[in-house]
Amino acid sequence: MPFDIPRTTATPAASKRSFLHENPSVLWFMGLLGVFTLGVTILSEGFGIGLISTNLVKILGMTLCLCLIAIAMDVVWGYCGILSLGHFAFFGLGGYAIGMWLMYARTEINIRDSLGRGTIPPTELEVSEAVAAQIFGVVGSSDLPLIWTFAHSLTFQLAMIVLVPGLLALIFGWLAFRSRVTGVYLSILTQAMTLALSLYLFQNDTGLRGNNGLSGLQNIPGALHVPQSVISMWFFWASAFALGAGYLLFAWVVAGKFGSVIRAIRDNEARVRFLGYNVEGYKLFVFTITAVVSGIAGALYYPQAGIINPAEIAPIASIYLAVWVAIGGRGRLYGAVIGAAFVSLLSSWLTGGGAPNIDLGFYRIVWTDWWLVLLGLGFVAVTLFFPKGIGGLFDYLVRKKP
Amino acid sequence: MIKKTLLTTATTAALASAAPALADCPIQVGVLHSLSGSMAISETTLRDVMLMLVDQQNAKGGVLGCELEAVVVDPASDWPLFAELTRQLLTVNEVDVIFGAWTSVSRKALLPVLEELNGLFFYPVQYEGQESSRNVFYTGAAPNQQAIPAVDYFLEELGVESFALLGTDYVYPRTTNAILESYLLSKGIAAEDIFVNYTPFGHADWSTIVSDVIGLGAGGKQVGVISTINGDANIGFYTELAAQGVSADDIPVVAFSVGEEELSGLDTSRLVGHLAAWNYFMSADTPENDEFIAAWHEFIGDENRVTNDPMEAHYIGFNMWVQAVEQAGTTDVDAVREAMWGQEFPNLTGGMAVMNPNHHLSKPVLIGEIRADGQFDIISQTEEVPGEAWSPFLEDSATLVSDWQELECGMFDTATETCVQLTSNY
Amino acid sequence: MLSMHPTFPIERSLPMSRLLLLIAMFAAFTMTAPLQAQDASSTPLQDALQSVQADVASPSRSTVPQVLAALLQADAPGTVDFLRAWGDRAVYVRDADGLFFYAQDAPDRMLTLIDIDSGASVATTSSRDLSQIRPNAGVRREINAALVSFELTHPDPARRIAALETIARSPDADQIIPLTAARDAETDTRIIGRMDRLLDLLNARFATDTATRIDAIEGLRGDINTEARRVLNQTLQTRAEFASEIPAGTNVARIRTPGEDISLVDAYATLSDAGLAPPRPGRNAIRDALRANVVDGEVGGVPVHLLTTDERRREAYRALQEAGIVAPLVTEADMRAAVAEYVFFDAYLEADPVVTDAARDSLDSTRTAISFWQFASLSLDALSLASIFFLAAIGLAITFGVMRVINMAHGEFIMMGAYTGYVVQTVIPNYTTSLVIALPLAFAVTFAAGVVMERLVIRHLYTRPLETLLATFGISIALQQLAKNIFGTQARPLTAPDWLAGAIQVNDVVSVASIRVAIFVMALGFLLMLLYILNRTRLGLEVRAVTQNPGMAASMGINPDRINMLTFGLGSGIAGVAGVAIGLVAQVTSEMGANYIVQSFMTVVVGGVGSVFGTLAGATLIGFLQKGIEWFNPANTLAAQTFMVLFIILFIQFRPKGIVALKGRAAGD
Repeated sequence: MPFDIPRTTATPAASKRSFLHENPSVLWFMGLLGVFTLGVTILSEGFGIGLISTNLVKILGMTLCLCLIAIAMDVVWGYCGILSLGHFAFFGLGGYAIGMWLMYARTEINIRDSLGRGTIPPTELEVSEAVAAQIFGVVGSSDLPLIWTFAHSLTFQLAMIVLVPGLLALIFGWLAFRSRVTGVYLSILTQAMTLALSLYLFQNDTGLRGNNGLSGLQNIPGALHVPQSVISMWFFWASAFALGAGYLLFAWVVAGKFGSVIRAIRDNEARVRFLGYNVEGYKLFVFTITAVVSGIAGALYYPQAGIINPAEIAPIASIYLAVWVAIGGRGRLYGAVIGAAFVSLLSSWLTGGGAPNIDLGFYRIVWTDWWLVLLGLGFVAVTLFFPKGIGGLFDYLVRKKP
Repeated sequence: MIKKTLLTTATTAALASAAPALADCPIQVGVLHSLSGSMAISETTLRDVMLMLVDQQNAKGGVLGCELEAVVVDPASDWPLFAELTRQLLTVNEVDVIFGAWTSVSRKALLPVLEELNGLFFYPVQYEGQESSRNVFYTGAAPNQQAIPAVDYFLEELGVESFALLGTDYVYPRTTNAILESYLLSKGIAAEDIFVNYTPFGHADWSTIVSDVIGLGAGGKQVGVISTINGDANIGFYTELAAQGVSADDIPVVAFSVGEEELSGLDTSRLVGHLAAWNYFMSADTPENDEFIAAWHEFIGDENRVTNDPMEAHYIGFNMWVQAVEQAGTTDVDAVREAMWGQEFPNLTGGMAVMNPNHHLSKPVLIGEIRADGQFDIISQTEEVPGEAWSPFLEDSATLVSDWQELECGMFDTATETCVQLTSNY
Repeated sequence: MLSMHPTFPIERSLPMSRLLLLIAMFAAFTMTAPLQAQDASSTPLQDALQSVQADVASPSRSTVPQVLAALLQADAPGTVDFLRAWGDRAVYVRDADGLFFYAQDAPDRMLTLIDIDSGASVATTSSRDLSQIRPNAGVRREINAALVSFELTHPDPARRIAALETIARSPDADQIIPLTAARDAETDTRIIGRMDRLLDLLNARFATDTATRIDAIEGLRGDINTEARRVLNQTLQTRAEFASEIPAGTNVARIRTPGEDISLVDAYATLSDAGLAPPRPGRNAIRDALRANVVDGEVGGVPVHLLTTDERRREAYRALQEAGIVAPLVTEADMRAAVAEYVFFDAYLEADPVVTDAARDSLDSTRTAISFWQFASLSLDALSLASIFFLAAIGLAITFGVMRVINMAHGEFIMMGAYTGYVVQTVIPNYTTSLVIALPLAFAVTFAAGVVMERLVIRHLYTRPLETLLATFGISIALQQLAKNIFGTQARPLTAPDWLAGAIQVNDVVSVASIRVAIFVMALGFLLMLLYILNRTRLGLEVRAVTQNPGMAASMGINPDRINMLTFGLGSGIAGVAGVAIGLVAQVTSEMGANYIVQSFMTVVVGGVGSVFGTLAGATLIGFLQKGIEWFNPANTLAAQTFMVLFIILFIQFRPKGIVALKGRAAGD
């Protein structure tokens, strides 16, 4: 495969110090992320002088989560060569896992409060029935589905954020890699997986409220009276921390010998197999760990968005993810971050009615209408002419320096 | 139309945040309808109606001596974006009222934001009930203003004894069908005579389902179809109905989501006689309606555009809001909210709409038969029916009532005499 | 504006048998009513109508039988014509004085009023001063039923047939006599057949003579038509009852054993509802009773704050029970004992067991045939679905299967074809002509689009399949949005010409929409055409050569560029034609392509890449599978789609090369 990506030549004896030394981009990235976080904090309504609205803080926080899943996508695609068109499924599952607890716990607080004001205190069964009626009343049911059995437990649902996407990726990956499904077949298969999952979740019988999804996720149980301006900052910090940690983790993963092997798999899978490596094991590991990170990103994203529903998992979402990474530049982590941040912010600016419409006299360009056309064609152009994406520009900058 | 940016308004927001909510001129009216994505088809029209109503009001001299200014944003049929833009409208654009949303999912998405920031919202579409938010006025029909009367019509006028409830798989059909099922059981219809089927959005393959419905006729009972099928899927459904020759005399179909707009462009000559239940039909013969249609045609510049029920809902809701603001003398949300209770405004179909303390309207229920020209023949019109927030036919909500005026609660349990909660279920 | 009150009196349909009684009643009524004056009046019909003015002006199914009886009894000249006009919504009422008129359209939204007695034009007024009377379908059915005896002898055969359909819709015992008379006078053999059939059905349901009735019921043996089964099922209607012992003369359908056919709780609830057993306090009733009896923070000696478990609550309740304040708890043993006193059973409404036995026999005899035809119907549906999948995927089978180019914009080519059809239809109003033009035009448009895309984008990416996938995604996004900008987001219908709009009715169980048959034929046509092109033409030979070894093919004088371009154009063109076909059964939206793309890829992959037969096999498998799953769970179509995708994922695990795996060198890779 004709990828032209600068490769770090990691030595087997690379120590922690030399890892950062070998990867100056990691330090740069951490520094910029820190400065950005500090800057937003100072300008925020919750903790600073209030120049940045809570709305914008939420958008920025969500963008950080998208950057996190984008670097996961970059590792699995840009480094390991698996074009997964299903990573948003894991993102969504993480969101659902935390959403169940948020929704259950918040409703339970309300219910206990209201039932507690009655003449006689409620039994546990009455509480859980009332909670179920509250949550599922809107979808014409009043029973708590089986999968909500442990929804009251934060620990359990936190574990689910990691376990559900991880296990799904493990099983799916094991099946797919075992039978040597590769290339475009794998892409279509992953797409089928996310399609099946979203169709499954669209059903009411699934017990996750079908099309309605889980909502009101921005209200954090135990902090119901904390203003959103403060909560939004908590999540912003958490997202920034997660992005930083994820970046460090993946930079470390791809820098070492492991990184060399997965890049080799990308470039020529058969040769790596002949050299005696367990190709399937490597691929499965990368697929699973990126799925877990995607799940974490989703768990941080949806409490900021406030609602999750199956449409979020539809195949098109994962395709956009690939588009971000491709535009940002595959095979470099900061490229994925740039791509995700740039495209998603530009997209919400243009479709949010932010950009001024351009009047050509004979025709008025309304960005809401033309943004997707532009994105689509721009993406074709990037694929054809700039396979390195925006990140490729940094090569010129670095090269120009003596 | 003002469209402010997400990024550049951060500064103005901070400066303006300390200002009081009393009538600053101009008064900002938020319009939150999808202009792109799958719902744009329905919602774009409502945006246009709002712009027309704002124009008309400004021509009359505005409200409280202030010009009205519509702030239009596009949530793009993306549910989380509804929440995001509601926050933007309330905190950044500082609108005094928002008119918007279509699907229940989008309403549920923006509710928490609305209640957190104490906004004022008018929701114009028929919906499944089981909700009464402090901050929302529901100008569309609740189930007892559309679904239940339609079923009564089936039971009493058409003698239907075997029901097929066909719906798109989402919250509105699910809840409505749950209410209808329990209502039908209470009317002595046996459980085995109720056939329920859900299909995904945009479903195209209707042949088996239509055959199944026809097959119900062998049971010896008059079969009727209650359709909560939404959007595009209706085209395939009605095409298949027509192809298999299901006449309204044999198996009548009553739809709750099919109006003039949905039928426009469809060849309705084979659907003549099938039914729809709404609170408004364009064919209503009243002077108010003629005036409204004429104004609409002039505003939109196209004589062929139709009017429909949610448009009337916005028309009533907007005019009631104007009256309430003038009565309260301020645009302050709490004052306007209180002034809204008992507000009256003439329906386009005759009679008077009244806003009840449960934030639902009293409106007449109309049943129409589809004509060959895509319009409806109104064959039944009731007196005004007050909208019920909570259905008495569902076990969980049988004892719940909403009364923001007396009880100051949207979810009051009459069995325990307590307010279950002040916020809504999302 | 006519109005109807929200609460209708609940009344079941009023059959003709009761009509007779009503006629008698009204006969007595009219003796004293103002109608007496009708002989002297010049407007007898208007007078008769005015005596029941409100019920004529706003008719309801519950009141219309009385009105009909009164009018037919008064028998003013023109009554029958008036009733017909009433049913056809040609009668207007003047709001000012409540008089009834026929009307004709006059200019400027005015109406010319026609007197219902004399037929003379009376006045011209604004439509707003009049209300059109619009009887609903239920009322119209009653009116038609009342007119049946007049219509059955109408000279116009169409009217007679319509009258027969009225009988089929609302059968009644009283129709037997006029129908028999009409049958004897009938000359049209087609109508005679239908009359005999209806007489059989009426006799099976209503004949007073048991022998005739049994004969008629026996005659319906094995008849799978809906109307026959409807009659049998009506004869077999049951009602759930209970008694301490089954009363003599009850025609029992089945006995329900509590705990097996009916749950113990339900059986007990039936008894307590009838007041034959004390009601059983449920959890909520216990809670409410406790709530009502809180004294000084205690209930029955249990402090209120401890009432958080069911045991404690029951304990407190027992204390109240002993104090005699509340109704006693009912244990399971109590329920068993109470229920054991009674027999629960379903009884036929029809008292004669001979009739019900015959009806059950006849109905049972249809069971096998019905199952067979239902299976056939499901198979036809599956076949139709498969042909749609095949059409959607066949173009892909060429571009992906033969050229190994992943074209994610394939769905958008389908959409483009459908919109071409829509545009043609807006220009040419004749549906047949427009379809004939749309099909080749759709091919041409998408062929061109395919060629352009191949030249501009795909050509540069032949060695990078993943990049092709992404680039074509970009094109797909752009095309979708472009379609939205041009055509709007509203779904557009493609209307089939009349000769394709109906259905082919095999019998009452099996019917297939003609358009689906047409699509099947079209899919078959494409299959043959493609096989011919690939295997029998020069182009096909060159395509296969280029696919297998482009270098070698080029050295043999084949221009691979040209072949690639043509092949891609062919695949895209077929997608366009498929779009027209799909638009005819479904709806044309900018997102329609996206709905088919993943499915189409799966069809191709499951079937086996590189083989047209593979695609056929894939489409058939997926179509039948989806219908099969739907059959198991008919209430939820979405579940069928989910399980189908899961099945495909698993299928590919075990047969990665698909159903029809190419062998040898052709398999490539």
